[in-house]
Amino acid sequence: MNVLQRVIIEPMERLYEKILQFLPSFLTSLLLLAVGIVLGAILRKVIFRILQAFNLDKHFERFGMEAMLDRGGIKESLSALLSRIAGWITVFIFVIIALRALDIPSLERLLEKFFLYLPNVFIAALILFFGYLLSNFLGRAALIASVNAGVILSGLVGKCIKLGVFVLSVTMALEQLGIGSNTIVIAFAITFGGVVLALAIAFGLGGRDIARKYLEKKMKGEEKKDEINHL
Amino acid sequence: MNSIILRKDIQDKIEEIRKADILVGIPSYNNARTIGHVVKAVQAGFAKYFPESRCVLVNSDGGSTDETMDIVEHEAIRDFQSILFHHRVEPMVRIATPYHGIPGKGSAFRTIFEIAEALKVKACAVVDSDLRSITPEWIELLIKPVLSGEFDYVAPLYHRHKYDGTITNSIVYPLTRALYGKQVRQPIGGDFGFSGELAKFYLTKDVWETDVARYGIDIWMTTTAVANKFRVCQSFLGAKIHDPKDPGADLSAMLYEVVGATFDLMETYAGVWETVEGSEPVPTFGFQYAVGLEPVRVNLDRMIERFRLGVRELVDIWRTFLPAEIVDLLHTMEHMPIKTFHLPDRIWVNLVYYFALAARQRVINKEHLLKSLTPLYVGRTASFVIEAAESGASEVEDKIEALCNMFEERKSFLTKNWKNKGGLS
Repeated sequence: MNVLQRVIIEPMERLYEKILQFLPSFLTSLLLLAVGIVLGAILRKVIFRILQAFNLDKHFERFGMEAMLDRGGIKESLSALLSRIAGWITVFIFVIIALRALDIPSLERLLEKFFLYLPNVFIAALILFFGYLLSNFLGRAALIASVNAGVILSGLVGKCIKLGVFVLSVTMALEQLGIGSNTIVIAFAITFGGVVLALAIAFGLGGRDIARKYLEKKMKGEEKKDEINHL
Repeated sequence: MNSIILRKDIQDKIEEIRKADILVGIPSYNNARTIGHVVKAVQAGFAKYFPESRCVLVNSDGGSTDETMDIVEHEAIRDFQSILFHHRVEPMVRIATPYHGIPGKGSAFRTIFEIAEALKVKACAVVDSDLRSITPEWIELLIKPVLSGEFDYVAPLYHRHKYDGTITNSIVYPLTRALYGKQVRQPIGGDFGFSGELAKFYLTKDVWETDVARYGIDIWMTTTAVANKFRVCQSFLGAKIHDPKDPGADLSAMLYEVVGATFDLMETYAGVWETVEGSEPVPTFGFQYAVGLEPVRVNLDRMIERFRLGVRELVDIWRTFLPAEIVDLLHTMEHMPIKTFHLPDRIWVNLVYYFALAARQRVINKEHLLKSLTPLYVGRTASFVIEAAESGASEVEDKIEALCNMFEERKSFLTKNWKNKGGLS
């Protein structure tokens, strides 16, 4: 009887007490989670309305945002996407608060570390997102400008600008995440410097004649220009 | 006089003048070489044709660093007897002021409209400051139809070289004619006459922070007058010869501003043009005569090479809004030899309409879209140059007339798809 008391009943009683002690925290956590989900849904709707009132979609259309989202398989408008993200961030914040409310020390330590790192992830994601948009926009602008200027290698110019801007944004994002920050900056500088040097040498040696002919044309005005007044 | 865009000294001068009958505005930016001639022509025009009227000359300057404004202030015809037997005694009133706002011809015009409104003028005209062919008769021809009370807007009509004004001839004239039903031959001519009422109407429009304030002002003025049912006519002014500019100076920017403004106006006045069918001539004044024009040099090889480069590199952008058969035809043209190089009217009209629809549907950034039109426009110009190589002035006009008819014929396609904002059908 005594053995049964010590081996089964007493631990069960202690467990029961612990559960009783833990239950309020657990219920609080559940409540917080529910509040977070409801608040997230409300916030999503409110932010969506505000962004639509400010005509955000129309403004960002000019930067090719809609086409970019479409290419990425996202059929939603930017306002809908941003409001959805805001909603999920709210839910996520409440999940963390709910986990902290459970009052488990090891979990708290883990959360603290994660929580401190989270802004970096968020900023890095933003940098990548806008970097991608900017690279598309500037790449296309460079391509069209080069074609209109009669540059034979326009396609290459556009691709280089696009890639260069995106690589720059990736570098910045990785630096933000603290992943080999110095190494990445140095690697980028070396690569970029190397590309510039390679191009300089290539043009200097390979394109010597072309450069001479071009300069001659420009300096001597040999290039036959149109005299059409377009307007 | 509570204008926020006019300087205090100009406001004081307006208070002093109080009222005027006629105002001629000259927008300028570093035009010291030519503006003296324009001022003299305006002065002689006032003296010869409007001796009884109170006339004001306004120079709206964009911050010239040469002597443009000094010349406006002091240039005058000293010996009128060599021009007129009798001339007015009252001197012409001059106002030379730098304009405020976004740099561009539109902001310069806004200042001119403000002064016209403040002086309650009956008739106004604006003339370019780089004109070499302006004569006193231009002032009469631009002002008289308005002063007589019969018209509100006078567009210019010039004789130009068959290769000049290709944006006007291949896009702006046929398109605005098909849209609004009025055959205004030079809708972006740059020299216009208009009533004081119309100047006041222009000022009520909130466009002064847009591309209109830059170089879209000409098409905006003409379209606003036509679409709002102001009485429009045109006056034959002879040849238009102006200071040589670098004709290659950023063609794509020029095309973007002019075509962009035309497309924007299509959105503003969709309710007006959607119901218009065909077109009608507008009354034309002035004695028309043949003008000897200097030859225009054209580098066809370079133009066709630009077209080919555009087709090679930009076809992926165009593919997002052009149908496959047009893209295929452009690829075929890429390999055409110069002798047989030809972009048919029908394809060109379709291209312009597809670009207009793509701009409305915001397929891509508007500036990118319109600048990507440049190689196609250059190709069309090359095709026109080849086609019109042996043609005289009247034959060239016939070709432009045929293109206009094609624009009118294909308008139903534009109207149908304009309403369908989601996509083309």
